[in-house]
Amino acid sequence: MKEQIITRDVVANPKTKYGNAKASTRHFITQRLTGAINVLFILFLVFIVAKLAGADRADMVATIGNGWIGLPLALLLVIVTIHMRNGMRDTLEDYFAGRAYSTYMTLNTLFCVVIAVAGVAAILKLVFWG
Amino acid sequence: MVELMLPKADRPTKGKTWPKPAGAKRLREYHIYRHDPEQNANPRIDTYFVDLDDCGPMILDGLLWIKNKVDATLTLRRSCREGICGSCSMNINGLNTLACTKGMDDSKGPIKIYPLPHMPVVKDLVPDLTLFYAQHRAIEPWLKTTSPTPTKEWTQSVPERAKLDGLYECILCACCSTSCPSYWWNGEKYLGPAALLQAYRWLIDSRDESTQERLDDLEDPFKLYRCHTIMNCAKVCPKGLNPAKAIAEIKKMMVERKVAA
Repeated sequence: MKEQIITRDVVANPKTKYGNAKASTRHFITQRLTGAINVLFILFLVFIVAKLAGADRADMVATIGNGWIGLPLALLLVIVTIHMRNGMRDTLEDYFAGRAYSTYMTLNTLFCVVIAVAGVAAILKLVFWG
Repeated sequence: MVELMLPKADRPTKGKTWPKPAGAKRLREYHIYRHDPEQNANPRIDTYFVDLDDCGPMILDGLLWIKNKVDATLTLRRSCREGICGSCSMNINGLNTLACTKGMDDSKGPIKIYPLPHMPVVKDLVPDLTLFYAQHRAIEPWLKTTSPTPTKEWTQSVPERAKLDGLYECILCACCSTSCPSYWWNGEKYLGPAALLQAYRWLIDSRDESTQERLDDLEDPFKLYRCHTIMNCAKVCPKGLNPAKAIAEIKKMMVERKVAA
């Protein structure tokens, strides 16, 4: 994908698109939705972190291994990584275009997937196998 | 590519201090950005002194007094001198506004005047608004209909007309767009608050029959969604309008359309 050359006529044309137009509203909805959920979940996260401050491994396993805590925590991690990917997309769009943007966006997605999979796997291990 | 600093050739230097008017008792100091791209020199900040007893109360009065009596080479746009035409928009003491409606007594100390931020400078206080107008053209600011044209006129009820209040008053002075950091960063791709305010003005016009087509044209990560609700636009608008709210309404229309689909 080549970088777009922007002239006055390109700007004045109502049909001009500068990015993934079809997905832009979906990205906006996802960003707002995950942001709102994060605000709610953050209280839960702060509570867990405060509760586990200074705790040893056995306490950790006992708390996070509880399905009522571990599973929402895993869900939170997924939502946070989706929000993180969206936020980084905005930044990448600001700084890069064309092939460089596609490359960095792929790396961004990969990074978020790794974080989500590793985090969720770790939590599920505690929930199901201790 | 990203540039975090002004290029060396664009950084303003200290300019000339013009002599104080002889015999003047009440003076006001003006620091004014001067730049002529045709001259191979950096921009400079010149200092002028305005005789308040020989000049009107507005900042534009002071600028015209300088142009008429001190330095005829000072270049600026102005026309109506009463906040209707939007020509004399500039950055005064760090805030984009109209020189004709801003009083000299609204601030203390020297009055610092720059052209609208982050725009190419044609000369002194005159920015190049080519892309700004192209963006306005892009939202097709006219009535688009498919129904047969009525014999008399396109009618509108009083409540439908009331929806246009707070939108139609825009004078395209560019104060809002040029105060927006998102517009500074993506000035070519992001339509900016002024164009989007006008876009919303046509989107909610009950007589317009191209709402879906207009929304299709606006749906883009840059044209619309670069607005991050920073609200500088609403803060600086010399007409007291709220472009940020209009942009939020467009986003709401986009979401409703997506959810309904």
